[in-house]
Amino acid sequence: MIQLYNVSKRYSRDSVAVNDLSLKIDKGEFVYVTGASGAGKTTFLRMLYVAERPTRGQILVDGQNITRIRSHHIPYLRRKIGVVFQDFKLLQSRSVYENVAFALEAQGKKRFEVSKKVYQALKEVGLEHRLQRKPQELSGGEQQRIAIARALVVDPLILLADEPSGNLDLGVTLEIMELFKRANARGTTVLLATHDYTLHQQFPRRVITLDEGKLVGDQRPLDSVGAER
Amino acid sequence: MLETVRYFFLRALRNMRQWPFLCSAAILTMAVSLATIATFFLIVVNIEQLAARWTQEVQVIVYLQQPPSSQKLPELITKMEQLDGVERVAFVSPAVAMERFSERLGEDAALLQGVRSDLLPASFELALHRNFRSQQGIEEIIRQLENLIPVDDLRYGQTWLERFNHFISMLRFVGAFLGGFLLFATLFIVANTIRLTLYARRDELEIMALVGATMRFIKIPFMLEGAIQGFVGGLLSLLFLSFSFSMIISRGLNAFWLTPMDFDLLFLTAPQQLLLVLAGVVLGVLGSLSSLRRFVRI
Repeated sequence: MIQLYNVSKRYSRDSVAVNDLSLKIDKGEFVYVTGASGAGKTTFLRMLYVAERPTRGQILVDGQNITRIRSHHIPYLRRKIGVVFQDFKLLQSRSVYENVAFALEAQGKKRFEVSKKVYQALKEVGLEHRLQRKPQELSGGEQQRIAIARALVVDPLILLADEPSGNLDLGVTLEIMELFKRANARGTTVLLATHDYTLHQQFPRRVITLDEGKLVGDQRPLDSVGAER
Repeated sequence: MLETVRYFFLRALRNMRQWPFLCSAAILTMAVSLATIATFFLIVVNIEQLAARWTQEVQVIVYLQQPPSSQKLPELITKMEQLDGVERVAFVSPAVAMERFSERLGEDAALLQGVRSDLLPASFELALHRNFRSQQGIEEIIRQLENLIPVDDLRYGQTWLERFNHFISMLRFVGAFLGGFLLFATLFIVANTIRLTLYARRDELEIMALVGATMRFIKIPFMLEGAIQGFVGGLLSLLFLSFSFSMIISRGLNAFWLTPMDFDLLFLTAPQQLLLVLAGVVLGVLGSLSSLRRFVRI
């Protein structure tokens, strides 16, 4: 599903975010991307949905080389990818329903289809009773669940999560991890960037470790299923 | 397709409702600018119409040393009418001249009490053919006249009229220059107003790009917004223009001593009014486009 060949991202001579990264992620995998702050986790994820372009190397996503993808093709790539951020990135002036529906409307879906899928997505994250609320009326955990619903409502092939539980407590974090697990169980490839090592213990999965932009570790758990506590 | 259009339209309207102050600022800016440009246009058009009217009335007035006898008068008039370039000849006797003068004085006509009725000279008023309503044409007629009758003095307003036409050309140039400058300034202001709106909504634009919205999907509602603002601005400018036309332009031009009583001032024709509103729409769309280029990047 995702392949990187000698990918580097250099901002200036002294500023290298990703350094000669090569790796492969199969369809349906659940992968943690870990490392200290500034290790290159966010840049790595941003390159996967072409918010950044690599300075060197090749990236393939779902068989498509996205390294030199043309600007007008990027939206169609992003429709296959759901992204969840630490700061939620919700539209504060729109309701919960409108925030999730936005992702489908942007793809030109019909009104009937949109309302059906939005309700399903919100039901999955347990917020179908908050349709008309505004984000500022919700807790941090609820807002992140809305963001996840928005990412999942388009049935993405890949779900990218950049420190999704960074602002949240453990209880909420675990709830969110359940959502990611369920999405992964349905076949979505999940990449979760985090420096919270306790998550690896709670939900053991493959762990890719970055340090100063380089790949310094790639560990798969001995048994990935049934090892959660 | 229809649903997509409806969606874009509703989004544009919602965006405008969400930022009423910025929206109003853009509309008012366009309305004032368009009204100002149209005002210039109306002033120039009306003055041109006036000049055209005067050109039609160009005549040569020949003042005589002595009025001709009643027997020689018809023959003289006939001979003058046969001159190249002369359309019509009218004789004004000293008494008629005095009557006209008295009318022009109006309330001050009492000043003429005791003045001889034959004080003013007799004159011939020659109306000219269209092709002779120029400096050269008049000089040709004068040459022919001087061979025909003893002339005391000649009056013709052609030199003045040509200077006036030159003034109008300059006014047209200045109007076009200022109008162009004003249009550019309006475009700049509208673009910046819309840029402010887009800046306030940059989060929304970022998320739209993130969830896979195409450039077209992102831009069209903003362009529609610009078009709607421009349309309303255009309509408002017509309102401003009507007001300025009745309160300022027509009063100003009518107070101007050169305007004849039976001259009807021109307002914009229906096609010109439509053009004004369309100009507003184009201005709004261009303003949006120039701002979007900076803020919308996939």
